[in-house]
Amino acid sequence: MHTEKMILKHPLSVRIFHYLLILSFLPLAITGVILYFKPLSESAMNLTMHIHIVAGVVLTLDAAAFFLMAFDRVVLFVKRTFSISSNDIKWFMVLGGYPQKILLRKKIPVPPMGKYNSGQKLFGVCVLIGGTVLILSGLTLWAFPHLMPRGAVAFLGSLHTFFALLLTLFLFVHLFLGIYMFDDFKAMIIHGKIPYDEAKEMSPLWVEKEIIAISKNKS
Amino acid sequence: MEKQSYQYTENPLHVTRREFITIGGIIIAFLALPAVWMYTITSSNNNYIKARTKGLYLDDEKSAIRVSHANKSVARYYKEFGGEPLGHLSEELLHTKYINRTKGLS
Repeated sequence: MHTEKMILKHPLSVRIFHYLLILSFLPLAITGVILYFKPLSESAMNLTMHIHIVAGVVLTLDAAAFFLMAFDRVVLFVKRTFSISSNDIKWFMVLGGYPQKILLRKKIPVPPMGKYNSGQKLFGVCVLIGGTVLILSGLTLWAFPHLMPRGAVAFLGSLHTFFALLLTLFLFVHLFLGIYMFDDFKAMIIHGKIPYDEAKEMSPLWVEKEIIAISKNKS
Repeated sequence: MEKQSYQYTENPLHVTRREFITIGGIIIAFLALPAVWMYTITSSNNNYIKARTKGLYLDDEKSAIRVSHANKSVARYYKEFGGEPLGHLSEELLHTKYINRTKGLS
């Protein structure tokens, strides 16, 4: 019988937000790359633009709903991603031990991390800033470019392209490491839970400082 | 409702009230920045439109003849030659037709 102790890592609200993010960002990234390189016929490019806009609206509504309905999670995420210490520098110096683990199958000592490791924090900062810029610039370019001066519209277009390419490149790393860390992948995609021992090894500071036993909490 | 099959969870009091207000305030302030920037450039954009409109109204005020039907030459054309506005002769002589010339350009 399976008796492993589990920690709820990703609550349902976060998982629903992430499902919608997958559903919207993947089509956005694919159609965005097509729109940037323009390899298709005029009618196909038109259809691509329509898909891009629909997916963009879904992503915007998803982000706005999460921001309003789970503002506490947004604050928590900002606090975690922007908390920087000397451990982060040490983590980046060994890249979290991932190259050794993946390429040489060798475990090396890694500085203790919180809920997110330093790489995830960097990704989090890029997603927070880049995502906000992409949503606001995309919405402006689609809905009311006629209200803006031409220079401002061009500037927003360049910003949109820059952050879209940055996040699309990050997406490959995120997908690879997300699936590589399979317990974390199952936690985000399926049930939200992660084994206690796994969490203690990967995120010792999170387990030590932020995790409480449910029975103790209830009493 | 989520089935409770876990024994541990995050401490809901991990973020203090003071931290919550500070971080929340910073997030709102950062979101307000692009809104202020967009408002500023949009309103300055409208300033150009308002100045142009004001200039056109000023030109109108300065002009002796402000409407086409008060133009003496036009009135004389209809009286001595064209007959009535939108008449057959005027339509034949004054109306234009659309011809696509873009193909010739390339």
